[in-house]
Amino acid sequence: MYPRGLWPLFALPGIVWLLLLFLVPFYAVIAVAFGTVDPIFQNPVPVWNPLDWNYDYVLETVIGFLPGNDYWRVFVRTTKYVAASLALCLLIGYPVAYYISRHAGRTKSLLVALLVLPFWVSYLMRMLAWVNLLAPGGYVNDILTWTHLVTTPPDWLNGNPYSVVLGLVYGYIPYLIMPLLASLDRIDKSLLEAARDLGASPFRAFVHVTLPLSKTGILGASVIITLPMFGDYYTPNIVSGSPQTSMLGNQIDIFFHGGPQPAIGAALTMVLSTFLGVLMVYYMYTVAKASREART
Amino acid sequence: MRDDDVHPNRNLNRRRSSRISRRRALKILGSGVAAAVAAPWVLRHALADQLMGPGGIPLARPNAPVTLPRFEDPIKSGLEPEKGGTFTVFNYSDYIDKKVVDEFGKKYKVKTQITTFDSMDIAITRLAKHVKADVTNISLDRLGQAVAGKLLKPVNPDYVPNLKKNVWPQLQSPFYDVESRYTVPYTIYSTGIGWRSDKVKEDIYHLENPWSIFWASQAYKGYVGVLDDSREALGMALLYQKNYDVNTEDPAVIDKALADLKALIPICNPKVNITEYQTLPEGTSYLHEVWSGDMLSAVISYMPKDGDPSTLQYWTPPRGKALVQNDCWAISATTKKPVLAHLFLNYIIDEQVATDNFLNFTGYQPPQISITADGLVAKGVIPKNLESVVLRPEDLGSDSLQLMALTAKGQALWQSAYSKFISGV
Repeated sequence: MYPRGLWPLFALPGIVWLLLLFLVPFYAVIAVAFGTVDPIFQNPVPVWNPLDWNYDYVLETVIGFLPGNDYWRVFVRTTKYVAASLALCLLIGYPVAYYISRHAGRTKSLLVALLVLPFWVSYLMRMLAWVNLLAPGGYVNDILTWTHLVTTPPDWLNGNPYSVVLGLVYGYIPYLIMPLLASLDRIDKSLLEAARDLGASPFRAFVHVTLPLSKTGILGASVIITLPMFGDYYTPNIVSGSPQTSMLGNQIDIFFHGGPQPAIGAALTMVLSTFLGVLMVYYMYTVAKASREART
Repeated sequence: MRDDDVHPNRNLNRRRSSRISRRRALKILGSGVAAAVAAPWVLRHALADQLMGPGGIPLARPNAPVTLPRFEDPIKSGLEPEKGGTFTVFNYSDYIDKKVVDEFGKKYKVKTQITTFDSMDIAITRLAKHVKADVTNISLDRLGQAVAGKLLKPVNPDYVPNLKKNVWPQLQSPFYDVESRYTVPYTIYSTGIGWRSDKVKEDIYHLENPWSIFWASQAYKGYVGVLDDSREALGMALLYQKNYDVNTEDPAVIDKALADLKALIPICNPKVNITEYQTLPEGTSYLHEVWSGDMLSAVISYMPKDGDPSTLQYWTPPRGKALVQNDCWAISATTKKPVLAHLFLNYIIDEQVATDNFLNFTGYQPPQISITADGLVAKGVIPKNLESVVLRPEDLGSDSLQLMALTAKGQALWQSAYSKFISGV
C-alpha cells in the first residue's frame, strides 16, 4: 500500500513550476499594467495591491481595442496572419504527421529526426536565411522566373504580407507536427481496421475515424503554435520591416522597449492573453469532452 | 472736430461706464492678489512640466546650457591607477574597436572586457541595478536621468587633459554638461538622407526641400526606409514641414508630424529599421533616412567588393536646420577603478586612438580638431561625394538642432504617436 498523498506529490514540481514561471510572472504583468513608473529611471513599478491600482492605462488600451480604433486594426491584421498561418501549417503539417505515423515504416525514426533538425538552428538564423532566399536576386525568384511561373519576380521582402505568413508557417510548423504526430500515434489501429471491415473506404475511414480521433491533437497542436504566433514581432520585423505588416507583438515591443508607458505594453499583453485565454478554455472544454466520451 | 464735442451725453456715459464700482475694484484687487500669490506656483509647475527632467535637473538645450549637480566630490588629483583585475567597458555592441580597448588594457596592465547593451533604456536599467561597469557610453537625452539617479561619478578634469588639447572647443564645456563634470564626447553625427544615385533619379541636393523626396518616392516603393527611432522618424516629418522645434511637446505639432509620417505608407511603404549602413551599399534600399556615421560605415565596412562608393550620396540640411547629436563616455558609479576610468576617458579622446577607432571600426566621427572633411577626402578614406557626412565644429553651435531629453509627458506623446505610425493603420 502506498502512503496517502504520494501520487499528488508527483504533481508538486509541476505546480511549483506553474506558480513560479507562469502565475507569478503573469500577475507581475497585471501589476505593471495597473502600476506606475519610476520617476527617475522610468522603469515599470508594479503595484501588487489591487486596491492601489491605476486603471488609466488599461482603460485606454481597452478603448484602443474597440472596433475601428488603432489596436483593433492591428489585432485584426494579426488575427488574419495567424489564422492563415495556422491553416497552412495544418494543411502541410497534418499530411506529414499522418504519413509518418501510418506509412513511414522503418524510416519513421529518420523522418522524426529530420523534423527535429530545424530546432538545431536558431529561429532568428532561419528567418535571416529566408531573407537571403527571398531577396530580389535570391534563389526563390530565380526559380520562379526560370520556370516561367512569373514574369516579374515578386517583392517578397518589401512589406509583403504573404512573406510574413510564410515566415510564420516556416518558423512554427515543426511545433505543430510533433504533437500532432504523437496524437495520431495514439489512435488505436484496431478502430481503423474495424471501419474497413465494416466496408468503409480508406477515405471514409479517415474522415469518420482518424480525423475525429485526432481532433484533440489538432486543437492542442494549434494552441501550441497559435499562442506564440500572436505575440511574435521579430518575424514581421525581419521579413518585412514595414508598418503595413506589423503585428500586435510589435506594439507591445514599442512600449516595453523603453519610455514612460510600459503599463500600456503590459495592458496590451493582458488583453491579448484574455483573448488567447478564451481559445484555451475552448481547447480544455474539447479535451474534457473527448475524455468523457472515451470513458463512456 | 472731436465726436465728444458734438455728443456731450455720449461722452458722459462713456466716462461713467469706464468708472469702476467699489465692488468691481475689490474683485479686481482680489484677483490681482490671488494671481500674485499663485504666479510663482504656476510658473514653477509650468517649468516643471516643460523644462525639468528627472530629479529636478533642468532639461538641457543648445541655447539653454545646464550645469549638472555633483552628489559627491571627484577623486583627488595625482592618484596612481589601480592595478590588476578586469576593467569593464559598458557600451552598445560594435560601437568601439575591441583592439582599442585591448590596447588600453595592455598599457595599464589590466584585463579588459566589453559588456554590451542593445539600447540606452537597457543600459540605464542595468546601471541602476548596479551592473559591473567602469565606464559607460551615454547619450545626451539620458545624461540628466543618469546623474539624477546617481549612476555616474563626477570627473576630475586633471586626469583628462586631452579634452582641452584635442576636442572641439564647443564640446570642452558643452551645453548638456557645462564644465564637463561627468562626460567626455565620443562621437558626433548628423541625420540626413542617404541614397543610391544609380537608382534614384532626382537630384536631391538641388530640390527646394530635399526631405520632400520621401513624400514623392512612389517610384521607389519598397526600397525606402525610415530610421526605427521615434524621435528621428517623427523629427524627419517635422523638418519636412520646416518645423525646427524638434523637442516640441505640443500635441498638435506631434499629431501633424504623425499624419505626415503615416502619409508615407501608401506612397512608398517605408521599411522602418536601422540597418541602412548595410542595405544602402548592398542595394536593397535606395533611399533612407540615415545617420552620417552609418553612411561612413557603409563605405568603410559594408560596400561590396564590386560596389562603387561614388553611388552613395548623403545630404544633410544646412547648419541650424540639421539634426546633430553626440554620444559620450562617463564613469560608472559602480567602478572600483575610478582612476583607471578617468584614464580611459582621456585615452578614448587621444588623437590617434580616436582616429583609429573611427576609421578602422565604428565609422562614427569623433569631435577631434585634427579630423576634417578635406583631410579625409585627401587621404582617400571617404569619397568626395560623401564629404558632407563629416561635421564641422560650427555645426554644434547654440543654434543647432539636437534631440534632447523630454519630460515624461512629452516622451509619452512621442512614443504614442510613433506606435500609431508603426501600427500602419
